[in-house]
Amino acid sequence: MSELFAFFFRHSKWFVFALLAVISTAMLLSNDPYRQHVYLTSAGRGASTAYKFAGNVTSYFNLHEINDDLNRSNAQLQAEIVRLQERIDLLSESAIADTLQLDSGVPHFEFIVAHVINNSVSRPYNYITLNKGSNDGIVPELGVIDRNGVVGIVSNVGPHSARVISLLNPNFRLSCKIKRSDYFGSLVWDGQTPDEAVLEELPRHTVFKVGDTIVTSGYSAVFPEGLPVGVVLDDDTDHNQNFFTLRIRLFADFTTLGNVQVVVDNHAAELKALSAGEENDAKKNPFGN
Amino acid sequence: MTKFAIKYALTFLLLIPAQAIVFNHMILFNVALPLVFLYLIIILPITLGTNISMLLSFLAGAVLDVFCDTPGVNALCCTLVSFARKPLFHLYVSMDEDLAGFSPSSRTMGHAAYMKFMSTVVVLYLSLMFTIEAFQFFSFKLLVLRIIASSAYTFILLYALDCLSLRPRRA
Repeated sequence: MSELFAFFFRHSKWFVFALLAVISTAMLLSNDPYRQHVYLTSAGRGASTAYKFAGNVTSYFNLHEINDDLNRSNAQLQAEIVRLQERIDLLSESAIADTLQLDSGVPHFEFIVAHVINNSVSRPYNYITLNKGSNDGIVPELGVIDRNGVVGIVSNVGPHSARVISLLNPNFRLSCKIKRSDYFGSLVWDGQTPDEAVLEELPRHTVFKVGDTIVTSGYSAVFPEGLPVGVVLDDDTDHNQNFFTLRIRLFADFTTLGNVQVVVDNHAAELKALSAGEENDAKKNPFGN
Repeated sequence: MTKFAIKYALTFLLLIPAQAIVFNHMILFNVALPLVFLYLIIILPITLGTNISMLLSFLAGAVLDVFCDTPGVNALCCTLVSFARKPLFHLYVSMDEDLAGFSPSSRTMGHAAYMKFMSTVVVLYLSLMFTIEAFQFFSFKLLVLRIIASSAYTFILLYALDCLSLRPRRA
């Protein structure tokens, strides 16, 4: 027995090395972002406190560009308000005429403004940390946008911070469509540069041209339909394939992310319950008879 | 040894957040990433037990992984480099020398040997890290470019850090 202990003691560095290597490899291979404990991510208390401290200083950088973007966005929103007001007036008139009840329920989408306290763009799996968490109403699987376009989706939430899977992360696929023709595909980052991604699985008969705008398709409860994502740069398709792959220049500038909005879908629970019901029905009666 | 332990703990508490908050955002041309926290592995005394040095390095990597959302990447690379550190050191410094309490630096090893040792550790670490990351998007050209650019960038900053820590003290 003592010889066995002596053997382990003599070669302890190999056992310690193997143990640490196995632990690290297990951490490395379990890369499902939704299953990681919040304290093992940048949304944990220690990391988020350090990032918030640094964010108080760095948030003043790039204010000039952010201000320009906000002015542009403000002008567009003003025009949108006028257009919508005209439409409401018109609908109200017809509602009075037809005694039709206008929908006065809960708004479909609400937005929570948050600030980016940490962001990476050069790793294969990029994440963003926000300074708001569950105490501010953020829960996992909410969409995140900024003034220019789609940014990512919330994965882990702490009380005062949240971690977002960036659009620059191959774990995140976004359903998008070409605004002009309504053909839809799946947008995913290919790891090349932080301002480009690829739109895959577009049908072969898709009509498009360089410069076409890509927007969200609205086929999920995460993002509303029509949010800007990017523009078509060129066709990346191998011509033996049955689907088109387009290279897209993203609208969101991930290198200077500042303020973002978390999209809260007030109908998400209802949609989930409906989908769960459909799945249960399909399991009970797989042939649909 | 107690003095070194306190100094090391302070360096640890300073360098890990600095790596996460400052150096991770100092990327040049989207390829060169400086990993200044490797200083924590380099300065560990050579006579320190391999088990302790591996545990300390693993801890540094794991804490950085929490900050950077890279679970296991830095922890694994730190463990591997720490394991190989002593044999790498003896490539440049003879086994016969008295190494009691010997912490690698340009003052203790001499400029040439320290630069060789430091560059070997840096290149090994970055090669491991970028190879692990290349399992997702493999591009041989980009992999080589990232290793060379990041190694050069890290080397310059680590050498500057070494020079800063060895400022001549007034008598």
